[in-house]
Formats: sequence, C-alpha cells, structure tokens
Amino acid sequence: MPLRRNGLKIGDIEDRPDGGMGSTMVRGSGEGPHTIDWRRSLAARNARTRGRRHHPVFRIRDELSPRWRMSLTLVGLVVPLLIWLFMATSGSATVLVPSPGAALESIGRMWNDGTLTGDVWASFRRILIGYAISMAIAVVLGVLMGSFRSAESFLEAPIAFMRYVPATALVPLMLFWLGIDETPKIALIVIGSVFFNVLMVADVVRNVPKELISAAYTLGAGRLRVLRQVILPHSTPGIIDVARINLAAAWAILVVAELLAAEEGLAFRIVRAQRFRQIDDMFAILIIFGIIGVATDLSLRWFRNRAAPWARP
Amino acid sequence: MAAQTIIVRPEKLEVRGLVKRYPGRRSRPGTLAVDGIDLTVRAGELVCIVGASGCGKSTLLNIIGGLEEPTEGAATVDGHRVVGPGPDRGMVFQGYSLFPWQTVRENVEFGLKAAGVPKSRRPARVDALLTVMGLGVWADQLPRALSGGMRQRVAIARALAPEPDVLLLDEPFGALDAQTKRAMQDHLLEVWRRTRATVVMVTHDVEEAIYLSSRVYVLSSHPGRVAAEVPVPFPDDRTPRIKRTPEFGELVEQVEAILIDNR
Ligand SMILES: Nc1ncnc2c1ncn2[C@@H]1O[C@H](COP(=O)(O)OP(=O)(O)OP(=O)(O)O)[C@@H](O)[C@H]1O
Ligand SMILES: [Mg+2]
Repeated sequence: MPLRRNGLKIGDIEDRPDGGMGSTMVRGSGEGPHTIDWRRSLAARNARTRGRRHHPVFRIRDELSPRWRMSLTLVGLVVPLLIWLFMATSGSATVLVPSPGAALESIGRMWNDGTLTGDVWASFRRILIGYAISMAIAVVLGVLMGSFRSAESFLEAPIAFMRYVPATALVPLMLFWLGIDETPKIALIVIGSVFFNVLMVADVVRNVPKELISAAYTLGAGRLRVLRQVILPHSTPGIIDVARINLAAAWAILVVAELLAAEEGLAFRIVRAQRFRQIDDMFAILIIFGIIGVATDLSLRWFRNRAAPWARP
Repeated sequence: MAAQTIIVRPEKLEVRGLVKRYPGRRSRPGTLAVDGIDLTVRAGELVCIVGASGCGKSTLLNIIGGLEEPTEGAATVDGHRVVGPGPDRGMVFQGYSLFPWQTVRENVEFGLKAAGVPKSRRPARVDALLTVMGLGVWADQLPRALSGGMRQRVAIARALAPEPDVLLLDEPFGALDAQTKRAMQDHLLEVWRRTRATVVMVTHDVEEAIYLSSRVYVLSSHPGRVAAEVPVPFPDDRTPRIKRTPEFGELVEQVEAILIDNR
C-alpha cells in the first residue's frame, strides 16, 4: 500500500545482486535507491534453522511419554525418601529424626495392639459426620446463591465475614459451649469448612452456561426442573471437586480440636507420643495422615469421574 | 400439498414497536440494541432476519422467545403477548446448547418430559424426530462425541420435540463449514415442508437467507431497525439449483447493497 502511494510498482522492487541473501532494493523514482537490509533485522537471527524445538521435559503444556512420566514420578518419591534417610543418619542431638524403618515398625506395632484402627476410625468418623453436614449445607446454600441474585445479596456478606474468622480461634468457644465430647469437634469441622464450601459451590453453580438454562426454559421446564435437571447435573463434578479440595481444611481443624481435648484419634495420639518422647510414633501418625489424605483424594476423583463421565477431561 | 392451496394464512407472530435498551453501568451510557422493530410472520412461513454482527438479531429473537424483556413494545404469538419462555416457541441457540451429560436421545426427550408426555409414548416420538434429522445411529452418544453439524441437528430435533408453534433459530449454521452448512439448509427446508412450522431464522449469510425464506427482513446496525423487507419470489419446494439463477444472484446483490447502506 505505501508503495503504491509513492508511485512505485511491485516490479520496482528487485533483489540486489551485491546485497546478498535477504537484501532488497527498491528502485527509487527520485531520491535514489532505498535499501532495507533484512540481515540486521531480528528475523535474521534464526536464519540457519526455522523455529526451535525444546526437549519434551521443558515444553509448556505438551504431552510427555509414559516412560518419562513414570521415571519423574519415581524420582519424586525417591528424593524425599533419600532426604529423610539423610536426616535420620546425620540428625543432631536436638533434632531427632527416626529412620523410615523405625517409623514403619511403629505403624506395625500400633496396628497390632489395635490403637491404630481405633484412632483412625475415631478421627475419620468425626470428619465423615462433620464434613457431610458441611457439604449438605454448602450444596443447599451454594445452589441458592448461585441461582438467585436475591439469595446471593442476602448471604454473601455474612458468609464472607465468617470465612475470615479463623476456625481455630473458635476452638476455645466451642469447647466452652459444647463440652469436650464429640459434638464440639464435629461442630468445629463444620464451621471450619462450610463457608469455603458454600462460596465455592456458589461459584460452580454460577458457571452453568446461561444458554443451557435458557434452552431448558424454552423446552417448557419450570424453575424446579431447571434446578434439578440442569443446574444440579451440570454442577455435580464441580461440587465433588470443591469437596475434595476443602477436605484438607477439615482435617486441619480436626487436629486442633483433638490436640486440646480427646481420648482417641490420630492427633491425640501425636500429643501422647510427644509426652513420652516417642518420635517414631509421631512420624508414623504423620505418614498415616498422608496416606488417608491421598486415599480420600483419589477416591473422590474416581467418584467424580463415575458420577459425571461426560465431564471427564 | 394441502398446505400450499391455503391462500390466506393467519398472522402467527407479530412484533410491534420493539425497543430494547441495555442499561449502562456507572457513568457508561447504555446500549440501544433494538429501536422500534415491527415484523409479522404468518403461520407456516419461514422468514429470515439478516443484519451485521451486533445489530440486535439475538436480542430480537430472545425477546420473542421470552428470555428477555423488551424496554418498549411487545411480541405476540396468536394474539397473546409474550411474557416469558414457553414450549410454544422452540429455540435453537447461536452456540452449542445441548445438555452435555445427556445422550442425544435424552436431549431430545427433555421437552417431552417437561410436557408430561408419559414415558411409554416418548420413545416413538423421539425416534421419529431422530430419523427425520438423520441421527438414528447416534441416539445413545453423548454430545461431545458428535461433530458440530450433528450437534446442531440434535438441537433442532430437541426444539421440535414439544411441537412448538414457532421455531426460532439464532444463526444455527453459523459455526459450520460451507459444505455441512449447505446440507443442513436442505435438511431444514425438508423438515419445514414436512412440519409446516412457523420458522424465524437469524443469519448473517445473505445467500442462506434468500435460499431458505419466503421473506427477508434486513436490519440496520446501531441501533437495530428494519431497513427493508424483501420478498423472495421462489416457490416453497425449491432446490439448490435456484442458487445459480440470475434472479437469485440479483436478489443477493440487492440485499447486500441494503446491508452496506445501513451499516
Ligand atoms: N446482556 C447485554 N448487556 C448489554 N449489552 C448487550 C447485551 N446483550 C447484547 N448487548 C448489546 O446489544 C447489541 C446487540 O447484540 P446482539 O447479541 O443482539 O447482536 P447480534 O445481532 O445477535 O450479533 P451477532 O451477529 O454477532 O450474534 C450489541 O451492541 C451488544 O453489545
Ligand atoms: Mg447473535
């Protein structure tokens, strides 16, 4: 375009023989030849090859061969184990670290004398009841908030406020109000997770495409049918993911509750082990926590894929 | 055959003095999307609406569908004012709007369930629609296993299931490649001839509009108004051959000229 405006034609542009590769000359009409030396330009930098391909390990968002994936996973497991071994052998007098073998032995001993099953069940039961209540509340309030602007306006402020009150700060109050049996622990699990769950479920529900809801209405569905047959099914995988992500917060608050008052439970066992300076046992319980966490995470993922195969990645 | 001998066709859908203004936020002014649109569609007619992107075509269709409220004016179907969405006005949306967790069959069944059709009578009606739309083999697949053209066919089948008085199509073939689009156009004509539904279709493809419809409403942009109403003189049982006739070419040019003048 600018060429034509200057009264030049395409034929006026020619490769200049002495300019070498990439050099172009425009035959001028009055002010002499204009030469553009492409060789100095940025594009000339990659003159030898076209583009660049990095090793798969360093590519952004690219597939990796199963062999690489397996090996890297293995390395990710072995390295922490090596660090642990190193710390166990070179541990100082103040920072005592048991060997992995000792921790495993400890798990075996607790399994044999029956305390392990008792503690796991005690803690797991609290989580199961508390978190079920929390999710039930979250689904009801979250679906309401995500579907009705009125519910959102009404609930947003108090829930946002409660979310920023650390649940751990409520532990003394709960113990004071509800005593030291199971009730305060379950209540704390509910309080510690429900506000996060509500807001995140509301977000999942808000992400149901408007067109799906509109389509349902034009097909004759009423609001109840839209809620039950469009909003709920579309939100199901998202809600399960919310449950999965916030479960860790529920465990954290349970530990605090058990540390203060309990006769049974995994965190209670850690406190006891500390009292008797049984570092092997403390490590054993930490491993159990990790195993339970990974197991629940995997089963919730599996459940999500079962419940909503259409949303499988 | 009988349908063609009916000369006086009653008005099915009327839009009178339709204005839609989207409110602005804070200091920003609102958008006047549609400014005084009138249109009339007779029973059994297939009418197309063309216009540039953003001229308010979807807004107009959503108001007829009852999904949005007009600022002024109203749409009426059989003389009854539209106040909300309902199964008497089936819609096919611009994007893909199939329920992704339901199979093709379940998607088409949705409207029948909502209408309270007993379970025993649903499969026959769903099968009939799937056969008409050439979807029989895909009945038990999820939408994500289908191509774009097939998904839009499911969307049309789903919209037809509750036997709507008026079928509203918002650029249903906009995302399809040229070949699939042509096949879908003939498919739509075939379905329309069989069902004699009243169809209002939005498109920005002038050729498509003329090929399909008996009348084309041309909208101007910003705000959307009716710039022209162009009658299409081809018979209802037309074939793709008419696209190569000089009359067709002239009509396309004429409508495109109106569009350019009203940009
Ligand atoms: N919900 C909304 N809020 C504010 N403005 C809107 C809204 N929906 C549409 N508009 C505005 O109204 C005008 C018309 O939009 P509309 O979607 O009806 O156009 P369209 O003709 O369907 O365009 P396209 O061909 O691209 O689909 C546009 O200027 C758009 O920005
Ligand atoms: Mg549109």
